Amino acid sequence: MSEAVPRIAQIPNLVDLFPDKVQPDTRPGYQGYLVGREHLLEVVQRLRDEYGYDYLSSVTGVDYLPEGKMEVVYHLYKTLGGPALVLKVQMPREDPRVPSLVPLYRGAEFQEREAWDLLGIRFEGHPDLRRILMWEGFAGFPLRKDWREPYFEEEAKPFKSRWPEGFVFRAEDRNPFGDNVQYPPGFDPETWTPPDDEAIYRVLKRASEEDDLHADTLVVNLGPQHPSTHGVFRMVVSLSEETILDLKPVMGYLHRNHEKIGERNTFLQNMPFTDRLDYLCSMSNNFGYALAVEKLMGVKPPERAEYIRVMMAELTRFLNHIFAIGFLLNDLGAYFTPALYAIEERELILDIFEAVSGSRMMCNYFRFGGVARDVSPDILEKVRRLVYDRLPRKVDEMDEFLTRNEIVRERCEGVGVLTAEQAIANSASGPVLRASGVPYDVRRAEPYSIYDRLEFDVAVRYHGDIYDRYLIRLDEMRQSLRILQQVVRDIPEGPIMTGKPQYQVRVPPGEAYGRVEGPKGELGFYVVSNGKPNPWRYHVRAPSFINLTSLVDMARGAKVADVVAILGSIDIVLGEVDR
Amino acid sequence: MDAGLFWEWVIKSLIIVLMLTAGFAYATLYERRVIARIQVRIGPNRAGPFGLLQPVADGIKLIFKEELTPAGADKVLFFLAPIITVLPSLVITAVVPWGDTVVIGGRVIRLYLTDINVGILYILAVASISVYGIVLAGWASNNKYALLGGLRSTAQMISYELALGLSFVGPILLAGSLSLMDIINAQKHLWFVVLQPAAFLLYFLASLAEVNRAPFDMPEAEQELTAGYHAEYSGMKFALFFMAEYIKMIAVAMIGASLFLGGFMGPFVDRFPWLGPVYLFLKVAVWLFVMIWLRATLPRIRYDRLMQLGWKVMFPLGLLNAVVTAFVVVLVGG
Amino acid sequence: MSALQWVFIIASLITVGAAVMMVASHRMMHAALWLAVALLGVAVIFVTLEASFFAVVQLLVYIGAILILIVFAIMLTQRSTEAGSRLNSLAWGAAGVAGVIWTALTYVFIRWVVSGTPMQELGASFDDVVLLGKALVDAEGFAVPFEVASVLLLAALIGAVYIAFERKGEGS
Repeated sequence: MSEAVPRIAQIPNLVDLFPDKVQPDTRPGYQGYLVGREHLLEVVQRLRDEYGYDYLSSVTGVDYLPEGKMEVVYHLYKTLGGPALVLKVQMPREDPRVPSLVPLYRGAEFQEREAWDLLGIRFEGHPDLRRILMWEGFAGFPLRKDWREPYFEEEAKPFKSRWPEGFVFRAEDRNPFGDNVQYPPGFDPETWTPPDDEAIYRVLKRASEEDDLHADTLVVNLGPQHPSTHGVFRMVVSLSEETILDLKPVMGYLHRNHEKIGERNTFLQNMPFTDRLDYLCSMSNNFGYALAVEKLMGVKPPERAEYIRVMMAELTRFLNHIFAIGFLLNDLGAYFTPALYAIEERELILDIFEAVSGSRMMCNYFRFGGVARDVSPDILEKVRRLVYDRLPRKVDEMDEFLTRNEIVRERCEGVGVLTAEQAIANSASGPVLRASGVPYDVRRAEPYSIYDRLEFDVAVRYHGDIYDRYLIRLDEMRQSLRILQQVVRDIPEGPIMTGKPQYQVRVPPGEAYGRVEGPKGELGFYVVSNGKPNPWRYHVRAPSFINLTSLVDMARGAKVADVVAILGSIDIVLGEVDR
Repeated sequence: MDAGLFWEWVIKSLIIVLMLTAGFAYATLYERRVIARIQVRIGPNRAGPFGLLQPVADGIKLIFKEELTPAGADKVLFFLAPIITVLPSLVITAVVPWGDTVVIGGRVIRLYLTDINVGILYILAVASISVYGIVLAGWASNNKYALLGGLRSTAQMISYELALGLSFVGPILLAGSLSLMDIINAQKHLWFVVLQPAAFLLYFLASLAEVNRAPFDMPEAEQELTAGYHAEYSGMKFALFFMAEYIKMIAVAMIGASLFLGGFMGPFVDRFPWLGPVYLFLKVAVWLFVMIWLRATLPRIRYDRLMQLGWKVMFPLGLLNAVVTAFVVVLVGG
Repeated sequence: MSALQWVFIIASLITVGAAVMMVASHRMMHAALWLAVALLGVAVIFVTLEASFFAVVQLLVYIGAILILIVFAIMLTQRSTEAGSRLNSLAWGAAGVAGVIWTALTYVFIRWVVSGTPMQELGASFDDVVLLGKALVDAEGFAVPFEVASVLLLAALIGAVYIAFERKGEGS
């Protein structure tokens, strides 16, 4: 460590540190630094080792078609806290290559694969650069601006065919046999067999040949049709007896190219669309997206709206965690009882969501500069009764029933361990990171909304095993209740919206990265606007997706039965993983 | 052979089989209702009064379901496996008495099928062959999950049979007989659960493992093995596995009640012998309730821990219990 | 012939037939299962001889324990699902040895004095379990061979544990 280590909250001036390698991004509305791709590894390594930027939050690409450029955007953070250091690498569209950051941050693995998959940016030095969300027979890179989907209508919504005349006909109706589906040249869907399986099986570690027991290595596909993958998710594992030698996650079965659809949508149309990411926690998804766009617009919601937002976000965290615990127990083989106890509480919270937003799961409640509807006094009274009385009791009850259960402890303690170093390197976030002993919480590290005024502790546990990931959710539920109690006590009267509600918001050009501490981890939205009604780039940093990087580290050496519990303890939602 | 005796046997066998199959059907309903109550739900209550026709509806559904045989399966064994699974569970209760004797139409009828002098060993023997069906189902399905399930169940059953056998030793020594009738009669005044709490506990745990019930339901662990050995089965073949599981539950409850809870013994059973089956039924119902309760409450033990428990705790405990009981019996002069 | 004799004849035919099938089947798993049928037939023969204890022990030990271990081992082998070749080079030699042993045994049994005596009806109070139990611990009976067998099994058990421990040490 040199003398140049600045205060935590201060971003070092990279131009002074790396003259001729780095230049500031001077485009209006943009921040951060542009790095030449040949210097990227060197710059990032020094930033990581000397300046404490040990946490690579987000990697994504943007296709600037009019300028003929591709850009890879990196958001680096310190696990000690503080704002983002944004690095960008620009490259010509014809030659999209960057060095891979996987050697420095393992957490880049999935995100770089995603950028390759969707944008066609080649990350040199990546150990396993295959498609991740799309299938192998897919033609083209769908997030490129010149790529058009089958049944393409227009670049941006609202489509003329559906609005304003109100006469709806869809492009696919005009083309009933679907012969505008595109395949790569020389591809025949009839004779094609997925080649990726072989590739996956080859990279799996097997029992060593010298083993004189000649134990067979059994390759088992857990999923995609498997009751414990919480959706359509696949883990290819190689087994010796019942011990996991290696594991490869395979995802994308629920992929719908959320980001491409998001870029066709107008800004406001994306609000209900974010509900579908982590469909258990639509309120926190709204929150992250609203923050990103508000940063671009430069508006701030009024005080009452901030309180309502925090209230909804914390209720969401509570319901997500109680749900996660219930289903973790289910994965451990408890026949639905804890899950149903959890669901009972969740229903009560969903009642509140329904009362304020009209929908139980797809809430679509946040607006740029406020929230959609006010919270009436009787709903507030309901919340008050929940957070002061019923929910604390239920958390204690769950604690009492489960925490000291002999079988739970035996199954969870010391199983699926993720060390703090691994967690940081893998860009793990949320409860997974904090259970490994890293007290990093976006609500404290880079406070947003009114969290800097609220009193709560960042829960942290130090063993990094399933048991700690279970306990930390209990801790966080208690902290959420603490926040909720303050919120319902202090919520002021006043307007719930800055300005008046409008269907078409004006978003000035620029970029913004809005991140919140979602229940599953750091949920980030990277939005680029070019001043038009639709976002030019709309990227989701999905915590479930990136937390899966750690699955391999947790699962190696565990038993088959443990893998299911480990996956349950990471707490993923496939709507968010696959997007 | 006396023709009347022959027909008596036939009728009694039929009654046992019918009671067990009906018992299977209503054990499923019983389980679903009890678990529903434990889980703050209502459970099936639509088919018939209190949902009493639900098992019938389930049965009809299963009969009309398509039977699939996976490609690459060993067809003969795949077909035989469910049958081999059900048979032992049906015959195992042949030696369990459900009453003493009643007089119907001037004829003295013994309320048990047979009282062979090696009744307990018969139970152990039949229990030990019941694993074949599961093993064969796992092997014949040509499916990795099923194979793993089959392997697990084999290892589990071998391990727990020892503890099960050792738990029988206590009551056998106390009663001085291998016949279940003698054992039940020896409990006229005091149930063996009082004298043999360790053996009772051993029996209870080992029998849970033996019938693959939670928390020892490793072979069919839904979360890991997607139902394990019967993953590839559908329709009536699947129903047979299901049937075997529940009949085995009833059987171990009957056997356990006979060994430790006085079987059909109860107040006034001397004067009204037909109370015997009623008492046995009640004891079995309570026993089943505990099994269901456990399933609704406990997570699954991991497989290697299960083996450790079997070999390192239950087996030595069973041996110790057998030795201590033998000493005490000799010293007291039983 | 009485019903019991018919049962005996059918059971022995099934036993012998299953034994032949066991040798003739291609798949190891099928062979093991034919062996189970053969052992089951022997158990039935025990029942017809009113030796219910031996019948049950036959089931418990041979089918319920030993054969299950064989099946377990077969399932763990890699190619358990594939059919093996019909005969290997040693098959004829093995058949010869088995034939010689069978002839010798038959000869011995025919010459044995007991084989000529007619079977006696056993009394209702006859309890083979009691007799067996007494014989096993009686110094005049089989106490010594019984104890010797126990010691042998104990030695085998300790040996097995030792071997298992050795493996574990190397592995880790």
